Parts: sequence; C-alpha cells; structure tokens
Amino acid sequence: MKKSIVFLLLIVTLLFSCRKNEVNKIDGPSLNNIYSSFSVIKPLTKSIDSVDFSIGQTVYFAAEISKIVDWKITIVGQSSGAVKRIEGTSSAIGASNTTWTGNTTDLPVFGTEICKVQLTFNGELDTIETTIKIINPKLNPGFLVADFESGFNPGWVSFIQSGADMDFQIKTDSEAAQGNSYYNMAGTVDWDYLIGYLYFRASAYGVQHFPIGSNPDNIYFNIMIYGEPGLQNTILLLQFQEDDDNNGTFNSTSEDLYSLQIAVNWSGWQLVSVKYSDIPSLTNGQPSSPNGNGQHNPDKIQQINMLDLANPSTGFASTKVDYIIFTENTPLNP
Amino acid sequence: MKVILILFAFLSSFSSWSQTGKKVQFIGSARSIISNYNFQTKEMDSVTPRKSAGGYALIDLGFKISPNSSTEILGMIRVKNELGGFYGANVAFDVRQIYVRGVAGKIVRYQLGNIDYKLTPYTFYNHNPDMLVQGTGILKLKEDILNYESFYSKNNTWRQQGAAADFGLAFPKFVDDVKFNGFITRLNPSNLNNIFERFYGGGNIIINQSKYLSLGFNTASVFDLKGTASSENTYKNTVNTVTYNTKLSNDKMTIGIKGESGLSSAGLAEDTVKLTDFFVNAQLYVELKKLNLDFAVGYMDNGADFRSVGAQSKRLNYDQANSFFDRYTNGQIQRQISMYDIYNDPTLYSSSISTGINTNDPSFSSALPYGTATFNRKGLYANLHYADSMGKISANMSYYNLNEIRGQGTTNLKHFNFLKTDVRFEVAKFFDWKREINFNLGASYQLTNRNNGIAFEDMSLTTVALSLGAEFEILDKLYLLANVYHFESKGTDLLPIRNVKDEIINFNSLQFDRFENYIAGGLKFEFSDVIYLSAVYESNFNNGNGFSPYQINQFLIIYNMKF
Repeated sequence: MKKSIVFLLLIVTLLFSCRKNEVNKIDGPSLNNIYSSFSVIKPLTKSIDSVDFSIGQTVYFAAEISKIVDWKITIVGQSSGAVKRIEGTSSAIGASNTTWTGNTTDLPVFGTEICKVQLTFNGELDTIETTIKIINPKLNPGFLVADFESGFNPGWVSFIQSGADMDFQIKTDSEAAQGNSYYNMAGTVDWDYLIGYLYFRASAYGVQHFPIGSNPDNIYFNIMIYGEPGLQNTILLLQFQEDDDNNGTFNSTSEDLYSLQIAVNWSGWQLVSVKYSDIPSLTNGQPSSPNGNGQHNPDKIQQINMLDLANPSTGFASTKVDYIIFTENTPLNP
Repeated sequence: MKVILILFAFLSSFSSWSQTGKKVQFIGSARSIISNYNFQTKEMDSVTPRKSAGGYALIDLGFKISPNSSTEILGMIRVKNELGGFYGANVAFDVRQIYVRGVAGKIVRYQLGNIDYKLTPYTFYNHNPDMLVQGTGILKLKEDILNYESFYSKNNTWRQQGAAADFGLAFPKFVDDVKFNGFITRLNPSNLNNIFERFYGGGNIIINQSKYLSLGFNTASVFDLKGTASSENTYKNTVNTVTYNTKLSNDKMTIGIKGESGLSSAGLAEDTVKLTDFFVNAQLYVELKKLNLDFAVGYMDNGADFRSVGAQSKRLNYDQANSFFDRYTNGQIQRQISMYDIYNDPTLYSSSISTGINTNDPSFSSALPYGTATFNRKGLYANLHYADSMGKISANMSYYNLNEIRGQGTTNLKHFNFLKTDVRFEVAKFFDWKREINFNLGASYQLTNRNNGIAFEDMSLTTVALSLGAEFEILDKLYLLANVYHFESKGTDLLPIRNVKDEIINFNSLQFDRFENYIAGGLKFEFSDVIYLSAVYESNFNNGNGFSPYQINQFLIIYNMKF
C-alpha cells in the first residue's frame, strides 16, 4: 500500500514537472496592441520608388502603429484612375500583408503612371500618403483575343444594323479599361434585338483554333464590360463555336455552340470571368443540349461571336468592351 | 492463472437494467404545462406584447419488448400538442428514444441506438457549471423538466447515438477484476459535400487490483471519416488519461489519493502543429465515518491547450436567443440569457456534444466555465461533504483557488476564487414529524480578477448567487413550495473572440452590472412518487445589466407523471 502511494505521488510529481514554461506566452493578440492609444510609430514607406510590374517586380509598403487597428491602403493611378485597395488588421504593416503585384481592385487597370498611395485607419483621423511610379504595368498570362490597342483586326467580322445613333467602333480615349482603346457598341434598333456584332475568328490570329488548353475546367474566359450609367438594357451574348470534327469550319447542326449571355445591368467597368466548362448551351436564351459531341473543348474553339442585343422596346442601348482574354488555371487578376 | 471468472452486468456508465419477465411493457411519461406570462418594463416599449399564454400536453410512450431473457428493445415516441391546436394543427410526433440492449453469450453487455454515456470528468462527461445553486422546491420541478427534455441524467451522461459494450474479467489472485467499456457514436452525418461523417469513440479499462487500489486507462476520440467529404482536412481530438484511486481504510476512517491525469491532441489534418497539452488533477481525501464527514484537498493543472470535446462541451448554448420575450423596448434590444431563463427555458440547452470551444457567459461561470475539465486553469481546491446518518442535514461545499496558466492577451494572469455550497435541512426528522419540512440553502461566490496597474488589462468580476428553497407538507401529500434567489454579477471582463480554429483573434470588452431577484410560491400535490400536479406563481426582476430593467411574472400549472 505504502509503495502504491509513493508510486502515484512520484507519477504526479513527474507530471507537474513536465509543465512548459508559459510565462512569456500569451493566447491571442496583445491587449496592449488593441486597447492602448493610437499613434504612428513608423511612418509609411515603400520598398522601391519605381516598379516594373511587367518583369515580375513587386512593391510593398511598411508602417508601424502602436496598436492593432483596421487599416486600408488605397493606391490610385493618377492618369488611369485605377484603384487598388489593400486592407488588414494589425499593428505591423509590411511585406507580408501589403505586397502589390500591380493588380487592380476597381477597373480600369493601371498603366505607366504615377500612383498616389494613401494609408488610413478605421476610427482614426490620421492619413499618411506617399507616391509610387509604375514603369510598366502588369502583364497577364493567357491568350489575348482583343485589347483594341492596335485597331481593327482585318480577320474580325462585324455587322451593324441600320438603326439610329449607331456607334460601333474602336475608340481611343481616357475611358478605356486597359490601355488607351476599347470597342464601343451603341445604337437604337426598334425592330430587332440585334444591334450589331463582332466575330473573332481564330483565323484572324493565323490559327485554326484558339491556342488554349484542352481542359475546360482550367480555362477561363475574361472580358471587361462597361455598363452605361442609366442604361441597363444591353444584353451581351458571347457564343463559342467549337470545330468538333476538326475540319476548320463550324456546322451548327452537328457541332457544339456554347453561349454566355450577360445582362449588362451595372454602371462602370466590370470584369466578367467564367470558367469555360460553366458556359452553357443555349437556345433562345434557354439551356439546351449542344448539337456536337456535348463536351466542352476549348482547344477546338474556332470562332467567338460577340452579339450586342437589346429589347427593341427599350430604345437606345450602349456598352463598351475591352481586354478579352483566355487565362489558364485562374480567372484574370488584372 | 488457472481460473478466470467471466463477469457481466457490472456497474458501468450506461444505466443498468434487469429483466422483469414481461415480454412487452409500456413505459414513459406524460406532462402538461399551462403558463401565463406577464412582462413589464419601465422603458419606453410600445412594441413588445405584455402577456403571453400557452402550454402543451405531451406523452412519451415507450414500448419495451423483451423477446428473450437477454435482449431488450425500446422504442419511444413523443406526441406533443400545443394547447389550442386541434385536428393535427400544432401537433408534433417525434421519436424520442430507440435502443436495443442485451447480454451476448452471458459475457458482453451491449446497447445499440440511443445510449446515455460518460467516462471520466476529463474524457467524456456532462458538466453543469452554469446552474450556480442547487434546485429545490419549484426550481427542482423546473430543473427536472430541463434535464428530461435535454436527456441529462443525474450521473452526468450525454445522450449519444451509436453502440456501447462492456464486459469484465475476475481473477483469483493479484487482481480482483478488470472491466472493459467501449463505445462508438456518430456526432454528425456527412452532407456528401464539405462536411465529414464525424464519430466519437473510446472506452476504458478499469483494473481493480484490490479494495485498496484501482487504476483506469481511458481514451476518447472525436474523428472525421476520410472520404466522406470532398476535403481531406479531417478533424481529430484525442484524449488519453489515467485514473487512479488508492486508499487505506478501517472502521473509523478512509484516507486515500485519487485523481486523473492525461494528454490531449486536437487539430485538423492540414495543421502542421497540433494543439497538444496535458492535465493533472490529484486529491487527497479523507472519510471520517463516525462523523459522516468527507473532505478532500486537491491540485489541478489543466493545460492552456488541453482540449476534450466530450468533457468541455457546454450544456447551455449562449449563442441561442431566448425563446420568449427575446427582444424588448422600442429599440427591440435583445434580452440576455438570465438565471431565470437558465431554469425556465429548455430550448437554450444542447442535447449533444459539439466540437469547438463553446461560447461562455463569464457573469455566470468564470472560474470553471467548462467544469472540472476547463482548460488553462491551475491551483488548489477543497471539497467537503457532510450528511448525518438520519438524513436531517446534508451539506456540500467546494472551494477553488485557481490561476490561469497562460495569459489571454497579456502575460499577466487572471486569478479565480470560487466557493459553492448548499445545505439541506429536513426539519421533520429533528422532531419525528410525519410530514416533511425541507429547507435548502445554496450559495455561490466567484471572484475573478487581474490587477497589474495597466487600465486596459485590469479586470475584476464578482458573481454571487444566493438561494433558499422550502417544501412544507401541509396536508398529506400536499406541499407548499417556496423559493427565493438573488443573483448579481458586477465588474468587467475581456471575453475572447475566436476564429473557426478556436484561436483568439480579439477581445470583447464587457461590463457587467447585473442583478436578479426571484420569488416564487406554489402548491404541489403528489398522487404518487412519480405523479404530481403543481400550481406555481413566480416573479423575476432583472435589472437588464443596468440599462433596461424588466420583470417577468408567470403563473404555471404543471402535471407530470411517469409510468
């Protein structure tokens, strides 16, 4: 009996001695960081003054605050008006939470320009500012269908109804979502949904099929679309014609046609990104069975049709498109 | 070892049973409640209805079938009808309990279906830290209803769905007997998408070496079944413990050491570092037989990262809104869960264990919010129990003097003082009166503080609950019941806000200035030990944490029977 008690006491003593030293450890964020008074300990700095995003360079911003606080860095392109926002909750601001690769939060995308950088804090009046120069904007991997920077590709096919106030053309001005140019589509057609179209043939790029991967779950179609404030009647229909039999032409009765119908019911530029395998087959706007092999084959897309539609009773319709690109593995992060 | 005696039907954690000889028995209970609430507040309130009336009648009807001498099947259905509902309206039919149990080969006792189970206080145990004072009189009636509705038993079991088995071996020498218990239950089903099938399993081996020494090896594990969801990120929480009890005994006293120690591990498959920690809880106890007095002093050290789903799940779900008068005043502020609600509202209680650290309200339970298995506590405690041989007086008292092991948001640690006591007087036994006169006094005091002179780290929270209950048998089987209690909680605290992985990401600064006063009286007529009719009037004043006081009055008729 005595031996048993001694044995158990020994076990208990051993276990007590195993306790880790917790003196300097704390659970959760420091109360000092949360509840002490707010002050900027280290002002806002940037890792480099000029950044060339086209070669993969990045920039980060750094600052140190006396307590954990909700902060926001807003970067605004002085020429493009592009906006990038980086938000966080911490007392230390640095590479781990502010590294910028040149992407955009609100379209348009950044160009070669000077950007204003502003650091603000939730519930505090302090604002800290600096600037950063973009030597070259970010390049996006993928197959670029159109950015309209080089004018009208002679391999494209366009049609414009003979309605009123028809304005289908590439425009070069400060309203572009990317670069300096975009394609404008506007007009009134009171007898038909179709206002006009623009077809992008693979042959316009010197290939039979668009040179993208074959896995429809890895291919994303991306397009920047502008919704005209006050006009929400445009319907953009994008059709993807697949040359299932590889004969270089599309037969609508025996090959797949997938359609992406977008009601442009917003104001300003917006990026629409869709996984190719999610694009349905439509007949008169309703889901239907495709007429070909029934499989999404992005590597067999032979032509992309972009149709500008509007209900004839709604009158004038207007929209813009820019930067049409296929990306692999992820949607476009412009 | 020439002879091994096979045992079965020894005492274990799921309730024992025996055959009665009847092939089919009807068992169950019936209850009807009629209530009439009256809500009052002096705040501007033209929105909240002042009165609410309702009630229900229910019957839990069970069929216990014994197809042979070693098998028992129980199926129990519940039919509940809200008062005022007829012809199918407001009528609910539920399955309340189903199980099959028996003895296989006269060796292994098993139960399949609904099982009420527990292991040890650190592995699988239904602690009750939020009811601060012992219920008696009217509070006892309400507490019994709460416990029945949530499947809580007197021996701290959790209701589970699965299977359990036990058997034992007896030995002629060296060891008296060895008992084996095992269980496996299903906590939640997969949704065939992102939620795994989650199971809970474990068991123990208890070695009774002699009447002087016993050892137990316990394990409990919550785990996800791989392949039942689209993710690979399964969750697992395993607790392994050793229990021990060694003692010396003679006619006058028993003295011994008992306790439990163990390790836990918790985390997701993708976690590179799992949350691991250990605990130690050991006590020296003395039973003075002639004085009918037991006392113990102990030490506990529950690591900051000790996690045990089965022992740290809370009964009360503080994320749940009150089911009646949940908002009041013209601003429709939410009415906080009060001590009155804790005794009155069965919908606030969980009927099963859940993973993750459950929300706690420190104004009710700050020292040990997850019972004895509360993580991040160490210190001394003492227990005292006295019950005279005639049953005239019984008293329990416990005191904890604890500290945090790891600070929350600071290296400075919180200190906890927790005293809880209740004393019951059965006055009639002093004077050999035939009719019962019982008093129950309960008190709970908690002081939690952290003082180091830094304003935003300092905190102090005091919680006091005092209760008096009385039962007078004024006529044969007719009892006059009376209860009063006072609850108050004052001070400040910083309540951790946790993310989905239970990591503290922020703190919620809380200020408490709460008090409640409760007074109730009523009559209860006992038709038998298991059938009674009671009429109660109760009034509860709540100061609304110093902002929006209110009062709830209720007239309540309860008819309850078991058969």
